[in-house]
Amino acid sequence: MIVEMSRVEIIGLKQFLDKAIQSLHDFGKLQIEDIRDMPDLMIQPFSPMEKMNKEREDTDLRLANINGLIDTFSKIAKKSEPIIATAAEVNSYQISENVSDITNQIQYLNNRKKTLQDELITFSKYLEMLKVISPFIPEDIKNSGNATIRALIHSSQTSTMKLLANQLKLVTDGKFEMITAKVGDDTNAVIGIFPLELVSQVEGFMKNERITQLILPEEYAYLSTEEALDHIENKVKMNHDELDGIDERLKRMAQEWLPKLRLWQLICLDRIDELETFLKTGETEYTFTIFGWIPDDDYDALETLLTSLFSDKVSIRRVDVPKQLKLSTPVKTKNPSIVEPYEHFVKMRATPSYSDIDPSSLVAIFMPIFFGMMAGDVGYGLVMLILALLGVKKVKEGMLADILKFLKIGAIWTMFFGVLFGEYFGSLGEKIGIPPLWISRSDPKNIIPLLIMAISVGVGHILVGLVIGAWNAFINKSRSHLFERIGMFVGVIGLLILVGAMTSILSDGFRIAGWVTLAVGLVTLSVSLGSSGFFLGPIEFVGLLGSILSYLRIAALGLASVFLAEVANELGGTIPSLLLGLLIAILIHALNIAMGILSPTIQSLRLQYVEFFRRFFQGGQSPYMPFKRRVENNK
Amino acid sequence: MENAIIAIAAAFSIGVTALATSMAQRAIGSAGVGALAEKPELVGSIIILVAIPETLVILGFAVAAIMLIGG
Repeated sequence: MIVEMSRVEIIGLKQFLDKAIQSLHDFGKLQIEDIRDMPDLMIQPFSPMEKMNKEREDTDLRLANINGLIDTFSKIAKKSEPIIATAAEVNSYQISENVSDITNQIQYLNNRKKTLQDELITFSKYLEMLKVISPFIPEDIKNSGNATIRALIHSSQTSTMKLLANQLKLVTDGKFEMITAKVGDDTNAVIGIFPLELVSQVEGFMKNERITQLILPEEYAYLSTEEALDHIENKVKMNHDELDGIDERLKRMAQEWLPKLRLWQLICLDRIDELETFLKTGETEYTFTIFGWIPDDDYDALETLLTSLFSDKVSIRRVDVPKQLKLSTPVKTKNPSIVEPYEHFVKMRATPSYSDIDPSSLVAIFMPIFFGMMAGDVGYGLVMLILALLGVKKVKEGMLADILKFLKIGAIWTMFFGVLFGEYFGSLGEKIGIPPLWISRSDPKNIIPLLIMAISVGVGHILVGLVIGAWNAFINKSRSHLFERIGMFVGVIGLLILVGAMTSILSDGFRIAGWVTLAVGLVTLSVSLGSSGFFLGPIEFVGLLGSILSYLRIAALGLASVFLAEVANELGGTIPSLLLGLLIAILIHALNIAMGILSPTIQSLRLQYVEFFRRFFQGGQSPYMPFKRRVENNK
Repeated sequence: MENAIIAIAAAFSIGVTALATSMAQRAIGSAGVGALAEKPELVGSIIILVAIPETLVILGFAVAAIMLIGG
């Protein structure tokens, strides 16, 4: 149902503007119009003071920081405490202080983490090389006080290295020893041992020959390979421990601050809304003016509130809706909770027009029935119902929750039509002696009744749409639309009479009545379409017949489902192993159920959107968005 | 022989329309996903656009059914 709205004007003394906006925000039922979008109005838009502009900039910046922190913490904490939506004892200064403090901590921890990770990358390279070299250093040389050079060289450089070693032996009077060992396909480890005082000489030679040494960081440079290895391994362990500590601390911070940050985010958004609302108001030297929309039922409550808070300093009155604003009336729908998911499905197509009939209740009736007609199997319906009931417990909000609520009802209809078609996991019901109450879809003889059922449903659905469309056109005083829909309605009735007479359901005398009714419908339709109606009328009518034929998908999808179920049972039955046969049957049935949930949902929705809505639904108006707090104000 | 020809014609009727539907849906679907990435509120319109070509295969099914039942 579309809620009736009132357009209101609030006028008051300027000194009360701040308090009035706060009160309207707390009240939460008024959608405020932007006075800057009403150029015909001779009221000056509100000019914000510098202080207000500064506050807006600060709040935007604070919100950006909060969003950044939420983004960071959301990646760390998988689950967080729910938001306590009350703004008691929290002010913008405290929020800024806390946000700045958390940001600094996060920056420090992230920087430290990066340093440790860089160190680990470097140390892991040293460790890898030292571990390769270490086994080739003779035991008696270790800890002797001699200096060592370590290098990993390509095999092609080995001969150069041997020449170099001979030269170094000459230079050091035979005090240079070189050990070479193959450590990979193309890599040799080279370890040179020599007296400490010859370090610069040896290194000079190495540099000239462009052999890259393994140079350790300064603190490990003078240690033996074994000692360096131990120290670096310790350092790597310490870095890992520290990194774990930082991660743990970030996790604790995320768990502690994420709910608070989300609350502050909402508080900032609320404040931005308030500051934005000031700009939507109009002002004179001493007064302010606010225009807005409110559900008619809430008008009295707002009037009472403003009188109690401001006495005669702020007044409210209903104002007429100018013609040019008719289409900008915000649309609020109100339906019983069982219809709410379908309300969301309708809005997914478009928000209804203010003058439309809200089709949510009709969609709530037709959509699950069509779903049940297509899926039509007691076993499948039962599985779907269990899945929907389990899902509804876990998913409370959003599109998935809406689909699950729809599936719950759809599953019941699936079971109902399953009984009519005698389907219990396909033909299993028939095999154990449960007959269909109406027809068996798996019997080729029953295809015609099935197609007739689908077409009849289509005719009924479209006629309902045309009646609503005609009523809408009557309310909106749109004569052309009224005649168009009446013409279509009469044309379809004429066609039904004609088909009835031709198939001997009605007596032959009805044949003429059918032609006449069809002709009247076509002429009415053509006239409604204006000068080109002579061509467009019949084309539109053929389009309408196409829409009716589109309902054949109800039969087509049902047949596809029943034959896949049949395949599951037959294939499972042909396998000698009972267990394997059962497994294959279950797998194919599971696939059929998954497809049976997806496809009928989309097709059922499509029939509403394309065939049904086209007959009456205009939509496209803006939804009602009241100026409402996200966070309860307890201050 | 006649039955075989009818069966082949019915298969063509549903096969060709299914192919046509899939080709249309391929183009609409990929464009639709692109549009949804930028404007998620278009989901209702995209469902309609993707579902519209399915009427082709439904009509193919109707023709196939008529051929088979008539045969």
